[in-house]
Amino acid sequence: MRGTRALSVSAALLAVVGVIATGCGGSDNTGQTSGGGGKSKGGSINVAIVDNPQMKDIAKLTPSLFTKRTGIKVNYTILDEGTLRQVTTRDVAAGGRQFDVAMIGPYEAPQFGKSGSLVDLTPMAQSDSAYRLGDIIPAVRNALSADGKMYAAPFYGESSFLMYRKDVLDKAGVKIPLHPTWDQVAAAARKVNTAKMAGICLRGKPGWGDLGASFTTVLNTFGGTWWSAKPDGSVDKAQVNTPAFRNALQFYVNLVHDAGEKDAANSSFNECLTQYKDSKVAMWYDATVAAGLLEASDSAVKGKNGYAFAPVEKTKAAGWLWTWALAIPKTSSKQDLAWQYISWATGPQYLKAAGTRIDGGWAALPPGTRKSTYEIPQYKKAAAAFAGPTLSAIAAAPISNPGTTKRPGLPGVQYVGIPQFQDVGNQCTQQFSAVIAGRTSVDSALGNCQDVASQVNS
Amino acid sequence: MDAAAGTAEASEQKPRKLISPPRLSESWRRRLPLLPALLIMIVLTQVPFVMSIYYSLTDWHVVPPGPRKFVGLDNYSHLFSDHFFGSAVWVSVQLAVIPVLGSLVLGTAFALLLDRKFIGRGLVRTLLITPFLLMPVVVGLIWKNQMFNDLYGVINWVVGKLGGTPVDFVARHPTMAIAVTLIWQWTPFMMLIMLAGLQSQPPDVLEAAKVDGATPWGIFRQLTLAHLRPYMELGILLGTIYLIQVYDLVAVMTGGGPGSTNVPYFVFQKSIGGGWEFGQASAYSIVVVVFSIIIATVSLRVLSRLLRGEETV
Amino acid sequence: MRGDRAPRVVGERRWVNVSFGALAWVVGLIFFFPVFWMVLNSFKTEQDANTSPKLFFHPTLDRYKDVTKSAGGLLSFGEAFTNSAVIVLVSVTIVMLLAIPAAYALAIRPVPKWRDVLFFFISTKFLPIVAAILPIWILGRNLDLLNTRLGLIILYVGINLPLAVWMLRSFFQEIPRELVEAAEIDGAGLRGQLTSVILPIAAPGIAATALLCVIFAWNEFFYAVQLNPVHGSTVPIWVTTNVSTRGDFLAKLSAASVLACIPVVLAGWIAQKRMIRGLAMGAIK
Repeated sequence: MRGTRALSVSAALLAVVGVIATGCGGSDNTGQTSGGGGKSKGGSINVAIVDNPQMKDIAKLTPSLFTKRTGIKVNYTILDEGTLRQVTTRDVAAGGRQFDVAMIGPYEAPQFGKSGSLVDLTPMAQSDSAYRLGDIIPAVRNALSADGKMYAAPFYGESSFLMYRKDVLDKAGVKIPLHPTWDQVAAAARKVNTAKMAGICLRGKPGWGDLGASFTTVLNTFGGTWWSAKPDGSVDKAQVNTPAFRNALQFYVNLVHDAGEKDAANSSFNECLTQYKDSKVAMWYDATVAAGLLEASDSAVKGKNGYAFAPVEKTKAAGWLWTWALAIPKTSSKQDLAWQYISWATGPQYLKAAGTRIDGGWAALPPGTRKSTYEIPQYKKAAAAFAGPTLSAIAAAPISNPGTTKRPGLPGVQYVGIPQFQDVGNQCTQQFSAVIAGRTSVDSALGNCQDVASQVNS
Repeated sequence: MDAAAGTAEASEQKPRKLISPPRLSESWRRRLPLLPALLIMIVLTQVPFVMSIYYSLTDWHVVPPGPRKFVGLDNYSHLFSDHFFGSAVWVSVQLAVIPVLGSLVLGTAFALLLDRKFIGRGLVRTLLITPFLLMPVVVGLIWKNQMFNDLYGVINWVVGKLGGTPVDFVARHPTMAIAVTLIWQWTPFMMLIMLAGLQSQPPDVLEAAKVDGATPWGIFRQLTLAHLRPYMELGILLGTIYLIQVYDLVAVMTGGGPGSTNVPYFVFQKSIGGGWEFGQASAYSIVVVVFSIIIATVSLRVLSRLLRGEETV
Repeated sequence: MRGDRAPRVVGERRWVNVSFGALAWVVGLIFFFPVFWMVLNSFKTEQDANTSPKLFFHPTLDRYKDVTKSAGGLLSFGEAFTNSAVIVLVSVTIVMLLAIPAAYALAIRPVPKWRDVLFFFISTKFLPIVAAILPIWILGRNLDLLNTRLGLIILYVGINLPLAVWMLRSFFQEIPRELVEAAEIDGAGLRGQLTSVILPIAAPGIAATALLCVIFAWNEFFYAVQLNPVHGSTVPIWVTTNVSTRGDFLAKLSAASVLACIPVVLAGWIAQKRMIRGLAMGAIK
């Protein structure tokens, strides 16, 4: 039949055309397929970033604020945190050569730095006076360094603190001090808990960076720890079956059951944000960056919130410390271009220039990296409600001594600085989340978790 | 007929000796159409497979990076002492059997409904295909946040309006929640296969049966269902193979855990999901392959209709 | 009278037919509801989308603007769409060109060991992709195929070929042997038999197979994001750039998903138009 003959001919043609077209599909080393670029002094670099709003802002501003000036074209790859970690870890640690700049956090930076996979940024940062290395908040800089060498430059920083609806708590006659204890917070949450509005929103979603982060800060301040440490800093014994760990878990689970949000076992930052803005919860313990979203112009709860330090029990401070920072894998062939980009993206000039250009305005600047951010008058005004507490929380984060005993591995508050923590944290938080969901018991979860944690032999 | 072709060939090559007897060229003529596909598959899949076997015999971990050491069968013995592998297998079984059967029943029912003519048939068919056209990650997020959600989900909203109490489906019944989502997603897959199968049923056979006085129900049972059986078996086979591999729905809806971690998610956690133990992850997947081969061999013998062949020459 | 030759099931009364038609509509709408809800969400503000189910709200096209706003250096919808279109069309074409002869060799004039060959094809899908990614990524890096369209095309051929071979084989089995032999007697070789007999009769099956291959290739995310995160990124990757770890995103994600699935909806529409019973039979006779 003529019709099908024509069909097969055109199919074959299509295949040929397609194969030719794929030759122009773009490869590793040439520039972007769309758009111009390539001034003679330029080049292009591949940058992997996480999908937070602040990162998307700088990605949009890069052509006008950076590429125009330097001629360096930046190809961004935006990924969610989990996928980003998969791709960048493989790139940095297994020699991927796909990225010139990778966004990582204080969990990875010292590890990869010590194992030799990252370029030491300190000499380049120190010799660049416009970069003002000393302006970076010391706690943040130390979190990204090992042996005094800074392996990643911070773009965004957060700690954790308590947010609450002042109006709701005032009406119930409940007061939250600036440095509350968990007992006080739990009592307050149970008091204001109603069927329509839960007392407090706590993370419950499995994941070492979700429930793991919130719970570990509670664990720390309750005097517990994941593992004990040998004198040389290596892992000794799993401590999941200790009374302190059990107390912390029981406390957390009870509080969520008594006064926690709906769907707690699936809730992390985004879910709690939604419920808080929707007036379905009265208090919320989570990342400091939430405050910017709560006080944004389109937020239904703008202006109604109070902020307090992360609740403590046995320690003086409990807030976590996380930063998203830019690092250069040693396998990159464009390290000087990469540094030019990093010095712009994490330098003080971007912060000043971005304020008038990003959608959220001054209040949406990437927080928590430089002292100078908090001196900018427009920022101080726009972020008045939360700038102070954020800066204090980050400065107070007890990164080198988060609990009451020594921890193994590299410093960290809401995680343990050993490579195995990702997997152990994931598996254990899955168990704990099932407890929150009411599908298993605390005993069973602790038992399973102790088994998993015990398999880490230094 | 073959002789004619053979002599035609022979006469073409008259000046030269016959290179091969007709019998051999016939069997090569049968093989030739198959060879491109077969060769390409062998190259594309066996190279990674052999590499996986090699990695499974090493202790390769990426974090912290270190040299790869050969450790023989250590990774395999690790697997059988691993606490959670057993429950991952059980979840895998549930997340394969329930969605396959559910989507098969629904898909067949839909295909039968759509096999008849009515106004807007094309539109309804397209509507019914759409669940399968969405990205799995999006499907998971929609069902988790918009359907099953305690506070904001449509299902619980309806339940509330009917006077019941909202149920936290995903947290309290993770396996069933994922299974239901999978049924919704894969019903179009089954439906497409059944629909195409129904189309290939010659209408004159049906006409003849009607002329013979058979009832619609009788025709349906004796002819249509019987005709569909090999397609159902095809759907079961393909559906099972795809559903066993599902891992992004687990990641997006629950993040794993008892009752939702299946074998792919379990392996994923061991490798790029946080464990970075490529040697162990490879060993686990080789075990998965071996078990799958065993199970598939057994079930294909049982599903004899699927592999019925017309052994014509 | 070309076209639909199965007006209704044999021996049925009209009201039965109409009520089955109505049932089909009801079933279709209910089953489609979650998709409908997603489309609805794509016209809401994030605030409206992330709260109790709202049927009535102020619709806005802003989410569509948000997701299609392109910025230099970021993956744009246009670029992702082009990559996906090329990768999917080329790979599915190659798959069909390979699978149709292969299915012929397994169904119509079967090779001696056809059962083993079929088993081999399906066994290639047993290795979990979350583990196969390691050697594949290493091969891609060493062969310089990372971040290229060609790399994904090759991979998707390998992914879809077993499915196509198995499905086409089942459909080719149904073809009455006499017709094939008749064509052969008339002197038709493989291509002739295909074009005159096999393809027309098996058209619904071929359409279904091609559609499934297109769907699988179009929505494939895991390999795409692991191998092509920088260049040659496909539509699924673009869709997930609208997910945010810190902030509401459901409305934006819905808008992105609607845009992403329009091409496959079109493909589905075209394919289901071929799935009309008796169309092919009438053509032969």
